Amino acid sequence: MSGTPEIKQEHPKREKKIADNIAVKLKKDILDIEIKPKRIKVKIKHQSIKKAANYLKTVLNLDHVVSVSGIDYPNDNEIEIVYHAGTYEHKDLSDLLVALVYRIPREKPKTLTLTDVWPSTEYDERETYEMLGVIFDGHPKLEKLFLPEDWDDIPPLRKDFKNPGR
Amino acid sequence: MSELTVSIGPQHPGAGHFRLIVKLDGDKIIEVNPDPGYVHRGEEKIAEYRNYIQNIPHFERPGIHDSSNMLFAYVQAVEGLMKLEVPERGKYIRVIMAELNRIISHLYYLAIYGIFVGHSTMFMWPMGDREHFIDLAQMISGQRVGFAFLLPGGVRNDMPEGVKTRANDACNYFEKRLIEYERIFMNNPIFENRTKGIGKLSKEDAINLGVVGPTLRASGVKADIRKDEPYAVYDKLDFDIPVSKDCDSWARAWIHIEEMRQSMSIIKQSLKDMPSGPVKLNLRGQVRAPPGEVFSRAEASRGTVSFYLVSNGDMNPYRIRLITPSFRNLIAIPHILKGLLLADIPPVFWSLDYWPVEADR
Amino acid sequence: MSEIRTFPDFLKRLIIVLGGLLILAIIIFGVLIYTVPAISNFNGILLESLSNPIVMLNYLDSLGVGINSLFFKIVVFPGYTWAAIIAAEIIWFERKFLAKMQVRVGPLYAGMIGGILQPIADVSKLIFKELISPSRSDKLIFFTIPLLVNAIGATLLAVLPVSEGWLIMRSEVSMLIVFAVIGFAPITVLLAGWASYSKFPFIGGLRGLHQMIAFEIPMLIAALSVVLLSGSLDLVNIVQAQSNVWFIVLMPIGAIVFFITLLAELERIPFDLPEAESEIVMGYLTEYSSMAFGGIQLGTYIRFYALSGIFTTLFLGGWHGPQFLPAGFEIINQIEWFTIKTLLVMVTIIILRGVNPRFRIDQLLRFSWSRLLILAFLNLFIAIFILQMGWFPFGGGI
Repeated sequence: MSGTPEIKQEHPKREKKIADNIAVKLKKDILDIEIKPKRIKVKIKHQSIKKAANYLKTVLNLDHVVSVSGIDYPNDNEIEIVYHAGTYEHKDLSDLLVALVYRIPREKPKTLTLTDVWPSTEYDERETYEMLGVIFDGHPKLEKLFLPEDWDDIPPLRKDFKNPGR
Repeated sequence: MSELTVSIGPQHPGAGHFRLIVKLDGDKIIEVNPDPGYVHRGEEKIAEYRNYIQNIPHFERPGIHDSSNMLFAYVQAVEGLMKLEVPERGKYIRVIMAELNRIISHLYYLAIYGIFVGHSTMFMWPMGDREHFIDLAQMISGQRVGFAFLLPGGVRNDMPEGVKTRANDACNYFEKRLIEYERIFMNNPIFENRTKGIGKLSKEDAINLGVVGPTLRASGVKADIRKDEPYAVYDKLDFDIPVSKDCDSWARAWIHIEEMRQSMSIIKQSLKDMPSGPVKLNLRGQVRAPPGEVFSRAEASRGTVSFYLVSNGDMNPYRIRLITPSFRNLIAIPHILKGLLLADIPPVFWSLDYWPVEADR
Repeated sequence: MSEIRTFPDFLKRLIIVLGGLLILAIIIFGVLIYTVPAISNFNGILLESLSNPIVMLNYLDSLGVGINSLFFKIVVFPGYTWAAIIAAEIIWFERKFLAKMQVRVGPLYAGMIGGILQPIADVSKLIFKELISPSRSDKLIFFTIPLLVNAIGATLLAVLPVSEGWLIMRSEVSMLIVFAVIGFAPITVLLAGWASYSKFPFIGGLRGLHQMIAFEIPMLIAALSVVLLSGSLDLVNIVQAQSNVWFIVLMPIGAIVFFITLLAELERIPFDLPEAESEIVMGYLTEYSSMAFGGIQLGTYIRFYALSGIFTTLFLGGWHGPQFLPAGFEIINQIEWFTIKTLLVMVTIIILRGVNPRFRIDQLLRFSWSRLLILAFLNLFIAIFILQMGWFPFGGGI
């Protein structure tokens, strides 16, 4: 799932330019960049998530977040959080999505919220909190969204939670 | 009267399977807290226990009125990972089913809008006219509601004889009906009173909150995946995206009617331009995505539906994240209901086309 | 009482009830035969009337329940039974007519022609339901409301001038009676909402109160112009003043204002906020079930008929119409014209139901207090102007 990009094939120009800009600006925070047509994936260190998000919003004008996903990797003992951001205002970038990816340890899944940068992440982060147990510091209302209030089991989307009856 | 906290739903004719906790001061709304989750099934978790073919009827269930559009994004995700190329005729049939679903879903929207403003005729007429299109979908796919018609690699089967004439008849009949809808329902002074200028969502708010679909287009943003990131044969077809600058509930209803007109035009064009040939690839049931990840989007009738598929080469996907348009629009509900009256809640929140089953997954 | 679980149980219960009624009737009848002499020769009269019906009519007259007696007028025609039959048939007609407008079929199975016995089927179903009320509600007021609603409808029926000579009650101030009764109606709505002890009925009751009070005033003023032109508060005199020209021709604005306020007083779409289903469940009627609900519906439809009759009286010329029956049958002619006009008004109100959504409460109140009130006053000035100009003699064409 990790990969070394930039070797195999010719990259689309627009995405390459944007990826280079990101690489220049966020030098040391970036662990990896993958480029595919219309999709750029930027892997960053956990601590620099706010800086990267602000850069994406203010300089690249990615004004909303399409999805916040959490993926559980019990083998690596980590949880990966993915933010997919896009733009409505700039018509020439309207099909581009930039994915901000970072990993946090599975035992202590604490991270910062991005609701002050992108208001559209509010309910997504709540869902990730209840489904994977990730705590977003600074979230205005970190409560259960879909699960019943008296849920006492482990967060359901973790790999060690087995669906009853399977 | 002092402050009163009222629960609208989940057992309420004006809410559906979803609860709104409303803080009232007399009749005026101070704060709204949506409380979804009454129909949460754990779709994303269940998807990890099923293989890619079994996930097809699974993923059309959240937005069941709209099944072809939901599946569009899913099968394109799988085909993106497996690097499959769908034959032309299959693509055209997919587009026809998607647009039929769009009309069916929009008519349902108008019908329930009618109930919420108290207009029973506005409920009966769309439901009756919907039957024409459901019959057409049944003729093509064999099912009235949950077709599960799209597969990775194409569609299930070819269209039978007679679909073209029947579709043209239905579209001609319905185009005349839409003019009557506008005269009786949209231009009715009482309806305009209830919806014009009410439930405004400004353009900046719409972009910041990341809403999708007709809600976004009614706030003046011309964004539609069919034009921004064309998939299937949408780049070859000639159609318009209706946009309105009014930002209120009336504009959202109006956009639904205009989109139905565009859908009928797309259906007619597709039936004319469709080449002959196979409609699916013969995969012999070997649908297994190689390791990788993909993010695919499609324009469902309620907005943009997205799939984020992470695969590690197994028979079952490792993680599927499904973002439905109703879930994306959930954040707009507290925003537009602030400051309105209690009687405004059903028409305004329904004008966002919020479908609780889709949002809860 | 044992529960009914199977069909033999039901038959047993039916036999017990019918048998009990029969025994009760024999006892009462037996007592009456020996105490009231007039009834003692009932059997003889019965046999005679089989060949000569006039005997039975004379006998009923002597008992005081003949055709011209007050008892007959109140109970049978044009009183409560007649109104109840019209109410039942209007319920059926409304459902069928709305269905045709909405590309549906409507009631189909109950009765031989197109579900015409559907209202009776509904009433039978309602009788068998359980009569419940919220545990903390005020039972006395709660169960009096159906009676009050029916009382309002019945009082309006009493002053309705169905024909010139033959009506239930003729009074010099019948217009005032009408308005007193209409003014009482909001209280029943408020009491129903309050006595139910629950949030949604309470909101519905308050809305109903606001709506009805707001619409009464334009109604009063529009009716006041009619009173001015006809010179009397007596409904019969008002109709007689229209023998040459109907008031709707002289005062169209007043007629429109009165018609709109009529819709609001009857709580019909587009003004049916107190029962707005999608927002407050069923408004102030939420907690009513079984025959309490049935009683309220009956009262509502009788009031519908009665108020439409008042509109006909005030603006459409009451019972006036060309004579198409031979002389000697004027009364029946008048009754027919009155009924036809009232039914036309009711059909118009039903059509409006099919085409319109519902108002919001603040828009409704604003509409009444600013627009309707001004129009009603305008109409009043027009009426005064007509009188001053002498175009319509005071008291009509009598």
